[in-house]
Amino acid sequence: MPQWISACDTDAIEQEEVIRFDHASQTFAIYRSPDDQFYCTSGLCTHEKVHLADGLVMDHEIECPKHSGAFDYRTGEARRSPACVNLKTFSTKVENGRIYIEV
Amino acid sequence: MDDTKYGKRNKRGDWAPYAALEAAPFWSKPWNMSKILNWLVSYVWPWNAFHMVTALAYWYFVIPDVETLKAIHWTWALRLYVVNALAIFVFYGYFEYQLYVRRAQGTSFKFNGKFPADNPSDVFWFNSQNIDNFLRSFLISIPLWTVVEVLMLWFFANGNAPWLSWQEHPYWLAVVVLLVPAIHEAHFFCIHTAIHTRLGYKWIHAIHHNSVNPTPWSSLSMHPVEAFLYHAVALWYLLIPSNPIVALFALHVAGFGALNGHIGFDKVKVSDDKSFKSHAYAHYLHHKHFEVNYGGDQLVPLDLIFGTWHDGSPEGEARMQERFAKKRAKLNAQ
Repeated sequence: MPQWISACDTDAIEQEEVIRFDHASQTFAIYRSPDDQFYCTSGLCTHEKVHLADGLVMDHEIECPKHSGAFDYRTGEARRSPACVNLKTFSTKVENGRIYIEV
Repeated sequence: MDDTKYGKRNKRGDWAPYAALEAAPFWSKPWNMSKILNWLVSYVWPWNAFHMVTALAYWYFVIPDVETLKAIHWTWALRLYVVNALAIFVFYGYFEYQLYVRRAQGTSFKFNGKFPADNPSDVFWFNSQNIDNFLRSFLISIPLWTVVEVLMLWFFANGNAPWLSWQEHPYWLAVVVLLVPAIHEAHFFCIHTAIHTRLGYKWIHAIHHNSVNPTPWSSLSMHPVEAFLYHAVALWYLLIPSNPIVALFALHVAGFGALNGHIGFDKVKVSDDKSFKSHAYAHYLHHKHFEVNYGGDQLVPLDLIFGTWHDGSPEGEARMQERFAKKRAKLNAQ
């Protein structure tokens, strides 16, 4: 049964930034886009299980810090080799200045 | 010399040339003699001429006499390793120092806007791309280069390979010398494609690809299997009737020439208005995108034939993205 989990305050993430959020032995990456929307994906690169939160956000892409594989963090779609398997995405909502993710 | 006249920089500071890469002019019809002549000059000068000079210098000043070569002994093998290591230290070290330590031309003509030393990563030994690449080069790849060199010389010295003299076969040997870079490119394409298979990549080639933003020290940062296969290009000259100097030339095109693909800059400036081309872009694109440009600059057009050529143009990018989309769809359907 999916549930909404409180992750962090909205002002904890700058625009075009990403943070890591761990919950119940799962790790997530939460992004704030240039158009001020919040997105969440699984936190590890599908190529070599590196934390994407250490990577570079540019526009709507997250670039893995290890091999520069890239994903569209809105859809999870792999955009550049060596990452070929898409990221899992999670719904987000904002309430009272807090970001919630649906897990 | 302003790099924005020759290319453009994107939002993250990466520079790319306006002009797309061109395969050797023989592969496009009708033949353009002016292009072919320009290409022939750049084929020889400066890089292959340099490799030929170092091969001759080795033969006359470093390689022991034939009687000594008939029996493999650690003393002369070790001497060869020391000379190879010193030569690479000086040659690669010069470019590393100028471009990455002194940063003499900043990011001008630099494909990747970042310098690896500014971005420590735990993918590398001691969290440092420079240290990792340096150690792998001197502890793994150069020793294996020397192993190939010792084997090749031993075979020639013992009459186990056809050794033609320059006096009796000057034309044939001249042809073989001119073909050395082509044989190198074909050999490199074959071994490179083989280690880009799923298991080959995972167990062997991933080490070299850790350097997505390569520097001169990345050139020979390889797994031992890759390092041996790469330098084994010189062993073809045990089968092709030639001469140990030609085989040394082939070994130097591999060992010293690896710098070209990994220098990280399109042009190396020598003064405010003068520079020389590195020929690095095709292999830089391989490091960036992984699944393009398995060969070289398409002197032997195997990437063109197999559809893996990326010339840096929007069309090349679209072709790569099309292949990538198919692969992604297949993997995500599993």
